[in-house]
Amino acid sequence: MKKQVRWFDITQYQKEEEYLRSMHKKGYKFVKVTGIGMYHFEACKPEDVVYQLDYNQDGIEHKQEYIQMFEDCGWRYLQDYAGYSYFCKPVSEMKGEESIFCDVDSRMEMLRRVFRGRVLPLICLFLCCVIPQILFRLDAARRGHGLERFSFGIVFAVFVVYLLVFIRFAFGFAKLKKQWGR
Amino acid sequence: MDAHIKKVYVPMTETGFYILLCLQKEMHGYSIVRKVDRLTGGDVVLSPGTMYGSLSKMEKDGLIRFVREEEKRKLYVITDLGQQVLDLEKGRIERLYRTMKEEEAE
Repeated sequence: MKKQVRWFDITQYQKEEEYLRSMHKKGYKFVKVTGIGMYHFEACKPEDVVYQLDYNQDGIEHKQEYIQMFEDCGWRYLQDYAGYSYFCKPVSEMKGEESIFCDVDSRMEMLRRVFRGRVLPLICLFLCCVIPQILFRLDAARRGHGLERFSFGIVFAVFVVYLLVFIRFAFGFAKLKKQWGR
Repeated sequence: MDAHIKKVYVPMTETGFYILLCLQKEMHGYSIVRKVDRLTGGDVVLSPGTMYGSLSKMEKDGLIRFVREEEKRKLYVITDLGQQVLDLEKGRIERLYRTMKEEEAE
């Protein structure tokens, strides 16, 4: 069993797919991903296998029918992780290059589901918790010393991290859209 | 037909069109995939992520409705609204084809 830690943000799922494919080509079959990006592999015969991620909450709720749809089309279901479902299919069983999405509209639709499921909650948290905390503590930090300033510093750091994450997502989404000609 | 439906589905994607065309008879997702493969001689291969997403979206928008389940596969059929959208789209494609032929003949 081989383990590797890899982090992919929500706009990098294609990189993750490529990573799993290249590992399988090198003779490491993807078994599961756990915790914060711990990828488990087992040694196997090197093979070209395409890995694909879908993000579909409706699919996870109606799991049996969802997985059946993919299996009928020759895709093997592996696991769910952080709202994503993992599928794979060997190239030898494909007619040409196959993907679980066959048009740009459905790729965009998946991106919208990711945005609603993963980014929107973060934005809500940012607007309802981080911003009010900043304003509240800013006032206290101006008047007080030491502890007040320290706690303002912490909240401010959280604020900056949030902003950086949002900027990264914005660029990531823009890059994907450009790649698909939208 | 409200403005939202028109905006989203007219004109529609090739996938959307084939789904509605097939669902004039009751069918499940994979039988649509197979039928479209046959109808187009393998030129249009619908993928499962696209199929699942499209079917649930069309169901939510009232273009198709769930009929029953058969061996873990959901069967759907087109609704009156779906038929209206399909007829609009057919009219649009007929017009495209007609004008294309007229241009060629000139």
